[in-house]
Amino acid sequence: MAASLSFTGSARLLTALARSSALYNSFESRSFHATAVCCKNRAARIRIGKGDKPLTYEQALHPHQIAHRKGWLSQHASNLKGEQGAAERTVEDVFIRRFMFGTFHGCLANEVVIKRRGNVLVVCALMLQKMPPQKFYFFIGYSESLLSHFYKCPVKLEIQTLQEKAVYKYV
Amino acid sequence: MAAPLVVRRELFSLVNILGGISQLGPRGLGACSNHRKCSQTRFELLQRPNTFFHTAAYLSSTPFTITVTDEPDTLFQKVVVLVKAHDRAVLDSYEFFATMAAKELGITMGKVFEPPKDIERLTLLKSVHIYKKHRVQYEMRTHYRSIELLHVTGCTAQVYLEYIQRNLPEGVAMEVTKTAMEKIPDHILEPMWKDHPIDDKSSK
Repeated sequence: MAASLSFTGSARLLTALARSSALYNSFESRSFHATAVCCKNRAARIRIGKGDKPLTYEQALHPHQIAHRKGWLSQHASNLKGEQGAAERTVEDVFIRRFMFGTFHGCLANEVVIKRRGNVLVVCALMLQKMPPQKFYFFIGYSESLLSHFYKCPVKLEIQTLQEKAVYKYV
Repeated sequence: MAAPLVVRRELFSLVNILGGISQLGPRGLGACSNHRKCSQTRFELLQRPNTFFHTAAYLSSTPFTITVTDEPDTLFQKVVVLVKAHDRAVLDSYEFFATMAAKELGITMGKVFEPPKDIERLTLLKSVHIYKKHRVQYEMRTHYRSIELLHVTGCTAQVYLEYIQRNLPEGVAMEVTKTAMEKIPDHILEPMWKDHPIDDKSSK
């Protein structure tokens, strides 16, 4: 039984690799890619390169600049002293970021900002003008209603669109 | 008023949006879409030449109902509002807002001060495996601000607190401590020995 399980496991792995690889001629070199837990002095830092990679303000400043030169991406009161519910808010935030990334695929210009005021969840995002506005409005309404039903609280989306990404510096 | 036709990379088009989406309030008209050239109608909110549409959240509230009762109102000697946040600038602006609101409503203010901040620090191992001597530290700072109101009635306190709480910024928590004044019960108003004089002098 163990052998059959491993066979199906490896078959699934191969199909996953096949689906993820864009070019079929890279099938020759099959490798298992695993990332370690992000080390604390490499997290959220983009290292200096040649000078041709554009970075937004959010990406250019490192995490130790939060509360000095950066703001917070997710604003809620549960990380304050004596408040509860930090883990639930974090899980909700992760889901909302993935949801926004998937719904508005390729349109996000910067990170999603999540604010909680009382019961209301406000999701603010900067978008690129890749789709006609009617599609944008449909996606906004769809995300709002879906997230409201999912989290049982009013969810409002604040979207602002740009021509292209706002570049802070080149790295 | 129509702005002149813009012949650039940014091309504008009129979108009639007020019919479609019901929840959100009025937004700026104007969105960019390629390969279409029209004149731009200026909406009163948007004054920018490059129109990119944006949506804003409008939080609506139900109108209040006024009730009149005969029972006496609770009296508060002190109402202490303690606000907590991660950002000191947010607390500064909130304190300005709360003090201005109290002054406009005619509520006497007591002390408005800043209790010292609390820092909660965590020291974790920097690496996944071994390297015990190399650690990394995270901290969470909580800043406080305390606003005291003196000698308020129950109705005033309720209205003021509701106004303050509806305008609480995101990421800010509030704790309210009320010290109420109660009427002294009648049976302890007068000392007992006045009604029942002590007459056990001849106990020996």
